[in-house]
Amino acid sequence: MEPVPTPGTATNAGAAANAGAAASAEAAASAEAAASAEAAGPLAPANGSAIEVRGLGIRYSLRLTRKNTLRNSLAQFVRREGAAGHFWALRDVSFSVRHGESLAVIGPNGAGKSTLLQVLAGIINPTEGDISIRGRLSSLLTLGAGFDQELSGRDNILLAGAFLGIDDDEIQRRMKDIIAFADIGQFIDAAIKTYSSGMRARLGFAIATSVDPDILLLDEVLATGDQVFRAKSKERVLELARGAKAIVLVTHDMHWVTEFCNRAMLIEHGHVIAEGEPADIVRMHEERSEQARRAVPSLAL
Amino acid sequence: MGPVLPFAAMQRPLAEFPVARSTATRPGPIGLLGSAARDVWTRRRLIRYLVRADLKKKGNDTLFGNVWWILDPLLQMSVYVVLVSIIFQRSQPDYGLFIFAAILPWKWFSSAIGDAISSVSGQDRLIKQVQFPKIVLPVAAILAGIAQFAFGMIPLAALLVILYPDRISPTLALIPVVAFVQLIFMLALGVFVSALNVFFRDVGNVSRHVLRLWFYLSPGLYGADVINGVAQSHRYLAALIKINPFYPILNGYRSVIYEGTAPDWQGLGVVLLVSVGLLVASVWFFKRVEPTFAKVL
Repeated sequence: MEPVPTPGTATNAGAAANAGAAASAEAAASAEAAASAEAAGPLAPANGSAIEVRGLGIRYSLRLTRKNTLRNSLAQFVRREGAAGHFWALRDVSFSVRHGESLAVIGPNGAGKSTLLQVLAGIINPTEGDISIRGRLSSLLTLGAGFDQELSGRDNILLAGAFLGIDDDEIQRRMKDIIAFADIGQFIDAAIKTYSSGMRARLGFAIATSVDPDILLLDEVLATGDQVFRAKSKERVLELARGAKAIVLVTHDMHWVTEFCNRAMLIEHGHVIAEGEPADIVRMHEERSEQARRAVPSLAL
Repeated sequence: MGPVLPFAAMQRPLAEFPVARSTATRPGPIGLLGSAARDVWTRRRLIRYLVRADLKKKGNDTLFGNVWWILDPLLQMSVYVVLVSIIFQRSQPDYGLFIFAAILPWKWFSSAIGDAISSVSGQDRLIKQVQFPKIVLPVAAILAGIAQFAFGMIPLAALLVILYPDRISPTLALIPVVAFVQLIFMLALGVFVSALNVFFRDVGNVSRHVLRLWFYLSPGLYGADVINGVAQSHRYLAALIKINPFYPILNGYRSVIYEGTAPDWQGLGVVLLVSVGLLVASVWFFKRVEPTFAKVL
């Protein structure tokens, strides 16, 4: 990703219009952004978003996603099955998130929510459209993804920090806090393979939230761990949010959406269906899921 | 509680936030190579940690740990000494040292390439969760192999001092030069196969057999004269032998370790030049397919 000059052409009003199905909340938010941007001084760009997504589309080639062997590809080549199979995991997605906002992304399974987070995190490149991210980004997509089973907790903190691109000084400085927050006691010098899944999740969460990100991406991670840790992690996320960081949260837990986010977006089949007040969007999602349930003939009992 | 409202972030002018952007457009070949070089340089600490993690793991999971790096080539040498000099009766003077000079670099090559093949596909979970330059994975796998080769100097020194003191010569100091040429070739091949294995998981299976045949077509168990003799009677093999980078490389090791003469500089120079070219090509290939890794794995 190349750093580029701040886009100066798009105005807030334009961004709001771009957001497609944006509700009135979006317009209000834009007005607020404009006000804050002015308050921040003349240097601040008019477009004050932490995340700006325009016309995003992600296409998956089914040919590639299948676990490939030479035999399969030879067979495909012989049968001339070339580029036939692909599908759009996301299409025509536009939205923006300002610093200080927390956006919940909800929708049925397979709607493209997790793909959206992967794109925001820079893991997948957009097939079309573009994204600009302003600020330091940290993703908590799955906890402990980078852990090496054979290494100790301490070594894994260093390794995970290096994977996440955190400075060495910083990770050394935060080591104590991470260990304290993860609450794994003397196990920190034992190999990760001896950890329980809860301990692993706690350590992963502690590392990912230790970086003071400007933008935090969360994917259903808050459901892991026991009651105590869940309360603690919620506290930590709220703390990050109070530091006025932008948050994008993917979850199936509607409590989190209404309680914790100030905006919500409903995605179905890779398209944005609606965006606006969390309570409205949650209600809409529930109604639509109910309809979908009724539309499917129930199994004869 | 109510929605979280923006305050503190606005105290920092937005212009201060770094802007990152991803679009559907892709950089050209020069841009790809440049960004690969930047990736490796800026993430050198990650490479260091990966190498260290690899060494720790290899040392931890067996009783003798890293002692195996010393014993392994010695045991393999013993096997070949029994096979070739006793069963086939095709011995050379000081045959132990003769083949040890080839076994050591070859073991380095085959195990590091094996590690490189699975270096990217083995990190599938991480690649889907965290954005980082994937090229550090094969580079770390190849670099970690250096330690194994370095440990091999211990049994080599022991062999020379105890069994073959007459063979000790100043040309031993040229081992790192030959090793450097080999390292560049290994980097080129390692980066390429690590990316290929993401798309074709058969690479691992095929490689075992290819590596074995490769070793037999190289001057490892026997001298270059045997290889040249084979080349004269089989035209197709002759072509393979001619382009085999391990022909000059293994000959080079044998010159400096066993014969006490300078290596074939011209041959090594050609291998080095070609390897640099291959490295550029394979890094380009890797960067080209890198964006699809997260989707394919």
